[in-house]
Amino acid sequence: MLVVLVAAMAPAAAGAETATLHASFSPDRLGASTTIGFSFNLAASGGGLPAPLSAISLRLPPGINYLSTTLGLAICQPSVLQVRGPSGCPPNSRLGSGSALVEVPFGTGAGKEIPEIAALMGPPAHENIVVLFYANGLAPILAQIVMQAELIAGTDTTPGRLDTQVPLIASVPAGPPVSILSVRASIGPAGLTYYENRHGHRVAFHPRGVSVPEHCPRGGFRFSARFAFTDASTATAAYSVPCPPRHR
Amino acid sequence: MPGFVPPARVLIASLSGLCALIVFPGASHAAHAHTARTVNLSENARLHRTNRPSGVHLDEQGYASGTISGTIYIHLKVYANHVSAEVNIYPHGGSLTATGSAGYHVNGGYAPFSGTITVQRGTGTYAHASSGGLRFTGSIQRSNDSVTVQLSGRLSY
Repeated sequence: MLVVLVAAMAPAAAGAETATLHASFSPDRLGASTTIGFSFNLAASGGGLPAPLSAISLRLPPGINYLSTTLGLAICQPSVLQVRGPSGCPPNSRLGSGSALVEVPFGTGAGKEIPEIAALMGPPAHENIVVLFYANGLAPILAQIVMQAELIAGTDTTPGRLDTQVPLIASVPAGPPVSILSVRASIGPAGLTYYENRHGHRVAFHPRGVSVPEHCPRGGFRFSARFAFTDASTATAAYSVPCPPRHR
Repeated sequence: MPGFVPPARVLIASLSGLCALIVFPGASHAAHAHTARTVNLSENARLHRTNRPSGVHLDEQGYASGTISGTIYIHLKVYANHVSAEVNIYPHGGSLTATGSAGYHVNGGYAPFSGTITVQRGTGTYAHASSGGLRFTGSIQRSNDSVTVQLSGRLSY
């Protein structure tokens, strides 16, 4: 599912990271409830591993409102998520899922997949939506990581952004941190089942996703991201989702 | 606003005014002698969505109680970080129309909002209605788009 990245074992030189970004709407129809997909790849331009990530700021196209979606009707507490994992949180707090490819400094360079990343609705911060990303690391990184991302709503003309602080992920206890090579995630109703009580019965339903803006700007819906690394370097990337055909 | 059809009570109020003019020709002079009355408005209302979910437009209907009571209709248009609102209240003897906007934030299953609205016009008893910015607060239940609203401030009519 994840792209194969070529990475040598030597650490990257400072300031040498490069990034690519991809995004999608599914379905891609103006005004329609949709699932937002995004993925990014990181590399060191001179070969070797990129420095560990410290923060990601993903800018989202203007005009997306987060009120008309029924995603995140319940809240997952970070402390519960850390201890019990996503199964300890309400089903109605699920926002999406994903996977990642990471590499340890002593690895083969091919990367190790973190197959399970869950996105959940956290308690709001500064009146902003908080998205909790839970990564369940398998060998050689046996760690459950919770990352908090704050969604700062934009306006109809200015982009919103999802700011994520990325903690250092130790490769082994007291060992050097791992490098993130790629992440693929989706936020939206695809694959999610919510529940509600109707006349005393628990009824399953599919939540309504955020709506694709009703107007597509010239050049498409622009996503961009700024990546900050622990060596103080940064990298940026952008991608525009093409405007959908007017009639389908 | 398109698709937001005021109820028949508006027509009834308009006809009542017309009848008064026919039966009492001096009514127009009385209008000049109108003495403004000012009240501290404090309204609470619960509303439910009446249109199909569209992602952007919420048409809400409910009942307002407080300083004045009556059926209330609210049309909300949802933007990225705020809603615009048209509020119509139909107390006994007239109607009030106000517009404004409110910022909102999402908190799990609820979206509290806060802003101001201003009375634009009225009919019947409230034909001369005016206000400054009325406090307009409430919450949207995201699972079914039902709304609770509080309105407060000084209203002259």
